[in-house]
Amino acid sequence: MLRRAVLQTFRQGLAQSFFKRYAVSLTETTVTHQPIETSDEAGERTVPTQKTGDESGNTVVVAPPEFRFIYPEFLPDPAMERRNRLREKLERMDMLQRRSVIEIPEFYTGSIMAVTVADANSPNKFARFVGICIQRGGSGLRAWFILRNVVDKQGVEILYEMYCPLIQKIEVLRLERRLDESLLYLRDALPEYSTFPMDMEPERRLNNSVVPINPLKVKLRPRPWLERWERQNLQGVEDLNLPQRFYDRAEKVAKPWEKYDLMLHYRKTIPAEEQEKIFAEVHSQLQQQELKRKLRRRRGSDNEY
Amino acid sequence: MSTLGLLRTLFNPKIVTPNAIQLQSLNRTPFLVGLFFNHDQIRTMSRVKRRTTHPPYWHVLKNNQRTDEKISSDNLRFVQEVIQDKYKNKSPIKGSDLDIEKTEWDPKTKRSGVIARNIGVQHMWEKDGKKVICTVLHVLDNHVIRYVPPEEYAKSVIGAKMFKNRKPLGCLVVGAEASNPERFTRQYCSLFDEVGLLPKKRLARFIVTPNAALPPCTPLTAGHFVIGQAVDVYGKTIDYGFQGVVKRWGFKGGPASHGTTKFHRRGGTIGTGRDKARVWPGQKMPGHMGSERRFNRGLKIVRINMKYNIIYVKGTVPGPTNSIVQIFDTALPRRKFTEAPPHPTYFPPEDGTLPQEDIWDSSLHVFGSPSISV
Repeated sequence: MLRRAVLQTFRQGLAQSFFKRYAVSLTETTVTHQPIETSDEAGERTVPTQKTGDESGNTVVVAPPEFRFIYPEFLPDPAMERRNRLREKLERMDMLQRRSVIEIPEFYTGSIMAVTVADANSPNKFARFVGICIQRGGSGLRAWFILRNVVDKQGVEILYEMYCPLIQKIEVLRLERRLDESLLYLRDALPEYSTFPMDMEPERRLNNSVVPINPLKVKLRPRPWLERWERQNLQGVEDLNLPQRFYDRAEKVAKPWEKYDLMLHYRKTIPAEEQEKIFAEVHSQLQQQELKRKLRRRRGSDNEY
Repeated sequence: MSTLGLLRTLFNPKIVTPNAIQLQSLNRTPFLVGLFFNHDQIRTMSRVKRRTTHPPYWHVLKNNQRTDEKISSDNLRFVQEVIQDKYKNKSPIKGSDLDIEKTEWDPKTKRSGVIARNIGVQHMWEKDGKKVICTVLHVLDNHVIRYVPPEEYAKSVIGAKMFKNRKPLGCLVVGAEASNPERFTRQYCSLFDEVGLLPKKRLARFIVTPNAALPPCTPLTAGHFVIGQAVDVYGKTIDYGFQGVVKRWGFKGGPASHGTTKFHRRGGTIGTGRDKARVWPGQKMPGHMGSERRFNRGLKIVRINMKYNIIYVKGTVPGPTNSIVQIFDTALPRRKFTEAPPHPTYFPPEDGTLPQEDIWDSSLHVFGSPSISV
C-alpha cells in the first residue's frame, strides 16, 4: 500500500519534471513514461538513461526509476533528526568505492542467494551459505539482509552486512519476489519452504526485463507461532484457519486509518525529488561499473571457447 | 569534626580540566564511600548549578532583536552594498604571510583546538574485519579572531580562577560558521571588526601556550590534526528534558505485574527515618537530564578528508547529530604527541602541490581496496 502510494508520487514527480523540461524528442522519453504496472513488479531493466532537456537547453541526467528498487540502500534513513546531506554524500561515495571492488547484485526478499565470506575458523578460510532472503533493511553502509535455510533439519538464519569487506562474493541464484516484503513467517512455516540445497546452481532467467513474482502461498505449522500472523495482512500465507475470536481481536487492534495518514508516510520515506537527486548523483558511476562487469563476463565467456 | 568531614577534606582533589572554561571540582570518591559508608553519599555537587539557559554576563547581546522593519527595496539593496563593501577586502592567509616567529614544538605545547559539527556516525571496518563505529566531524570554517596573551588573560575573571596557582597560558578566540551580519547586533559584529571577518555564529576559546599562538584571521582546517592521534571532544550532551528516575538514574522501578498498584517506574524510598531524619541533598530524583558539558577523551582519529574538511573519529562524541563540538589534542598523558604535529597549525604547501585528499589510518580497511581474506 505504502509502496504503491510512493510509486505514484514518484511517477507524478517524473511526469511533472517531464512537462517542466521541454523534451528533446518524444521518442526518447515515451519509453520511460509508459505506465508502470501497479502490481509490485520492478520496472523494465533495459530502459536506457533518460536525458531530458532543461528550460535552458542543458541536458539533465535522471536515473531510471527502477533504481529505487535495485539500490534501496542508497536512500538515507528518513528520520530528520539524524540526517545530514554532507555525511550522506560521503557515505554514498564510500559505497560506490566498495561496489567497484565487489558486485552487489539486484535482489529482493524471496530471492535465493549465496554469500561467500572470509572466515578464519573454516577449513578453506571461506564459508559459503545459500539461503532465501527473508528481510532486508538498513541504509548506507549499514545495509543488511538475512538469509534463511534449513541445514540438517535445523533452521539457520544469517544476517549479512552488504558492505562488510569480509564478504567475498554475493550471488543471486534465483532472482524473484514474493507477495510480501518480509518473509519472517517462514520461521513458523513447514521446513520445506525454507530448504534450499547448498550446492544450488544459479538459474538462468528467461525474461530478463521483468522480475517475476512467485505467488506461492506458504503453509504454516500449527500454533504456537512466533508472531500474530493474523494481524499482519500477509499475502503469501495460506488461510490460517484460526477461530473467529483471533480475527475479531485483530480487527479491534488494527489501525485502518494509517493508510490515509499522509504525514506518517511522508516521514517514513524520502521525497521523490530528493530520490531523483540522489540517484542522479550515483547513477553514472553505477552504470560504468555495470558495463565493466558485463565486459569482463563477456571476455570471460569468450576465453572459455 | 565528623569522620565524614575529615574524609571530605583529605580526599578532595580539584581536577582542573585545562581547556574548560568553567572549573568543575570532582569531590565524589565512590570507592571510599563504598569502603567506609555504604548508605551515605557525598553530596557536595548537589548545590552547584549544572546548567543555565542564559549566557554569561560578559557576553554581548548576539542576535538581532529587531522585528521585520518595513524597509524599501532600495534601502535593502543599499544595506547589502554596505555589507559587501565592508567585508570584501579579505585575502586568505598563507603560511608565509604570517608575522609570528617560527616557533618550535615541544611536548609541553598546547595547540589550538577546532570547532566542528558532529554530522553523524558512519561504520567502517578494520583490516581484520572488525566493525568500528566512527563519528563524522565536519570542521567548519574556523578563523582565529584574536589572541589574548597570558598576562592579560590571567587578569580576567576566568583566567584568574584557572591560573590561580599555575603558570598562566594564552587564550585563542576562534570563530566558526560565517553568517549574514544582518542577523546579529552591532555589538556582536564589532567583535569581528578588528579582523574584518564576517561575523561568526559560533565562538570558542582555546587555552594555548604562547609558542602556539596564531595571528588573527588564520584559518584552521581538518589538516590541523594528524592521523592516529588521540583527541578530546567537548560537547553538550543530548537534552532529554524532564526525565523520570528510571531513565535518569537507572533505577529498577517496580514489578510490571503481579498485583503492583501504581508502582512501576517510581523511585521508592528516599531516606531512612533514623539517620539525620531528612532527605539528604543530592537525593536522586526525577528532573532535567542531559544538556551538560562533557568531554569524551582519547578518541582516535582514523581518517581525514582534506577536500571536505572532515575528520572521522573512532567512537562517539557527546551531543546529538548536527550539534557543535570542540576538538582538541588530548589531555590524557599517555596518548599525547611524541612527534611534532603541524605546529602551530596546518598550512597548505606553498609550492601548490595539493595534499592527499583522503588519508586513512593504517588499521582501517580502505573501501576501494580488495576484500579482506583472513
